[in-house]
Amino acid sequence: MIEVRGVSQVFQTKNGPFQALKDVSIDIPKGDFVAIIGRSGAGKSTFLRTLNGLLIPTEGSIKVEGLEITRLSKRELQKYRRSVGFIFQQFNLVTRLSVLDNVLHGRLGYLPTWRGLLGLYTERDYQIARAQLEQVDLTPKESARVDSLSGGQMQRVAIARAMAQEPRLMLADEPAANLDPVLSEEVMRILKRFNEQLGMTVVINIHALDLALEYARRIIAFKKGELVFDGTAAELTDELVDEIYERREMAA
Amino acid sequence: MSAALVYALLGLGLAVLLSVARGSMRRLIYGGVFGIAIAFVAFPFVQSLGYLTRETVSPTLLGLLPRYPLLALVPVALVAAGALARRGGQMAALGGIVAGALTLFTGLFLIGQPAGLVRLIPLDGLMELLVALIPPLLLALLGRRRAKLRWPLIGAGVLLGGLVFFWLNSSGGGHLYLPKMAGYYRLLGGVEPGLERRIVEEYNAGLEERNAILREIGQPEEKPVQSLGDFKGRIPQETAAQGYRLLQPSQLQYGAFAVFILAGLMLGAGLVQLRRPQLQEPGDLRSGLILAALVGVLLPAFDATEFALQKLVKGWPFLVSFMDKAWPPNLTQINPSDPERSIFPLQSVLSEMALTIEIALVGTFLAAIFAVPTSFLAARNLTQGSPLMRGLFAFMRTFYNVDRGVDTLILALVFVAAVGLGPFAGVLAMAIHSIADLGKLYSEAIENVERGPIEALESTGTAGVNVLRWAILPQVLPLFVSYTLYRFEINFRVSVVLGLVGAGGIGYFIKGAMDGGNYDQMIIGVIAIVIVVNLIDFASSWLRSRLV
Repeated sequence: MIEVRGVSQVFQTKNGPFQALKDVSIDIPKGDFVAIIGRSGAGKSTFLRTLNGLLIPTEGSIKVEGLEITRLSKRELQKYRRSVGFIFQQFNLVTRLSVLDNVLHGRLGYLPTWRGLLGLYTERDYQIARAQLEQVDLTPKESARVDSLSGGQMQRVAIARAMAQEPRLMLADEPAANLDPVLSEEVMRILKRFNEQLGMTVVINIHALDLALEYARRIIAFKKGELVFDGTAAELTDELVDEIYERREMAA
Repeated sequence: MSAALVYALLGLGLAVLLSVARGSMRRLIYGGVFGIAIAFVAFPFVQSLGYLTRETVSPTLLGLLPRYPLLALVPVALVAAGALARRGGQMAALGGIVAGALTLFTGLFLIGQPAGLVRLIPLDGLMELLVALIPPLLLALLGRRRAKLRWPLIGAGVLLGGLVFFWLNSSGGGHLYLPKMAGYYRLLGGVEPGLERRIVEEYNAGLEERNAILREIGQPEEKPVQSLGDFKGRIPQETAAQGYRLLQPSQLQYGAFAVFILAGLMLGAGLVQLRRPQLQEPGDLRSGLILAALVGVLLPAFDATEFALQKLVKGWPFLVSFMDKAWPPNLTQINPSDPERSIFPLQSVLSEMALTIEIALVGTFLAAIFAVPTSFLAARNLTQGSPLMRGLFAFMRTFYNVDRGVDTLILALVFVAAVGLGPFAGVLAMAIHSIADLGKLYSEAIENVERGPIEALESTGTAGVNVLRWAILPQVLPLFVSYTLYRFEINFRVSVVLGLVGAGGIGYFIKGAMDGGNYDQMIIGVIAIVIVVNLIDFASSWLRSRLV
């Protein structure tokens, strides 16, 4: 489904250019559940953001279902993005609006601009949004303002918003990092369920190694912008983990 | 003389008082060093008279140096005290004592001198040079953090400074527009011996001729003089025109106040620190500079505003009689014989107050209507997309900055002239000025929105305007409302004043009552304003606290 070929990303910072991704190539087939691990600043978030076009790579090509997404016009990019869900660590909800309003935002990409401006969603949009709220058990909270919710509920709203896009691909950037262990498990279970029941491809950045090993079918690892591991959970030995997290140097 | 001693004792007492709180004494010594240095070169110390009032020259201590070379002791003592203060402890204390005492005695010696003739020595080009130094200094400051640009910037600054200096010195440029600048800073030099006798003789010799004219026009005749003292503090017109002045060292100016109080402060701080050398801190030099800068800015300002509490004492009876006439308020006055001529001040106050609030409402509403759309163009984070947007951003910001500079009251004066007296002029002025203030607040709110929701909506494939509508607007709308309410509070107070320039409302009533001497009517307006201002502030802050 996704073919990444020779992708590099260079940021111009105050201290000169910083290479966040170095010549990354990888294939992700449809229906896969991939967890990306690595230390902070290893390029995980950058990689995820290049996959939905929030960042355009400096070099290389990314094909999603045959569509080259690094060279899309603004309009085409918006069309591509509506088919890709994205879940953020900070939830990124509009906290002053209601739960339902936030979930409906997942449908904005499908509406003509003027209808979007006036908030004139179709009946189908409402059905989808309500169905997704039911999937994450938040139907009773439908009209509550988001800032009255707990962290776990907020992340579920964010998941419902992403699911309301009816995405083919779900990207998640540390979706559980701001949640306690129980809620983290719950978020991972929800994603796993979507993956298994709907065959939706999931790519997820994650710090918590145990969650990655438990839920992901495949694990890839970044170290200083380079892809250093690609395999199943079973293949990820303790030595490799130490290598990825550079734990040996710290211990010494 | 006694005034100078009082100043010095004031400074001394201040130092002792500060030492009670265990404050650093060395910073007072530093402050004295820099403060006196500023006063020495820049503050008028005493005055010297010519024939006309505008010929009065108030020289600085530096200006008096050619006449009294002894004054050179002051800068020498200051440099020594500064150097010793760096070493700290009892050395600093000694420096403070010696420099403070020396400055004090030199100053006292100077003001004890008798009045005498001095000759003006204008320093041509000095003020021009000081102004011309500003551009190179500013650009050098700008280039301090930018290693690559430093030298080009300094070069440009020097070039610019040179041009400024040339322009200021040319007769068609600076001296045409700023005629006072030429030779503004003057030194006072001694005069040749026998000048006084010559002036007296010349005056007496010309007496016959002048008296003939005075007789002709029926004025009292002048008498021959024996010495300069007979001129009673002035000098003859011709002498003044030749560049001579009568120096009066006993006529103290604010520079003397600064020098004596700071010298007393240094002396006191030095004495305290001699006993307690530990009264010093690492940041003393900085604090001293700040103290000196405060003195350097505030004293001339007090002098320029003719600050004199004596005037208030003199005007006290007026205040008392004002209160007498203002109380009790004249709420209504029925004329039984001629009901047509009855007056109802309370009724007028209430109507005018309602009008004042209405002016503020309409002005704020109109401003908000225009500020909302323009503020989006003035938000940096929304306008970096294309050169057109960046251009609009620059345009809006410039408009805001210019508009903010022109106060409501000034706009009201213009509109009163254009559309006539009345509330419409006030509403226009208020609306136009408030656009900038509201727009700036709005655009800052937009610039400070959380990035997260924007990124989230972009990632769902939402079009740009809809990101604005659904990610930014919900975040900023409560802030917009809150800022608008706050602006309404301000605008109400502004609209009170607007009446004074004829733009309607309660201010107009108060001005009318004041001009007519009807203080007992005016006081009703004042009381009404106090009540309504507080009510509006209370209501608005309650509303705002519920919003954010």
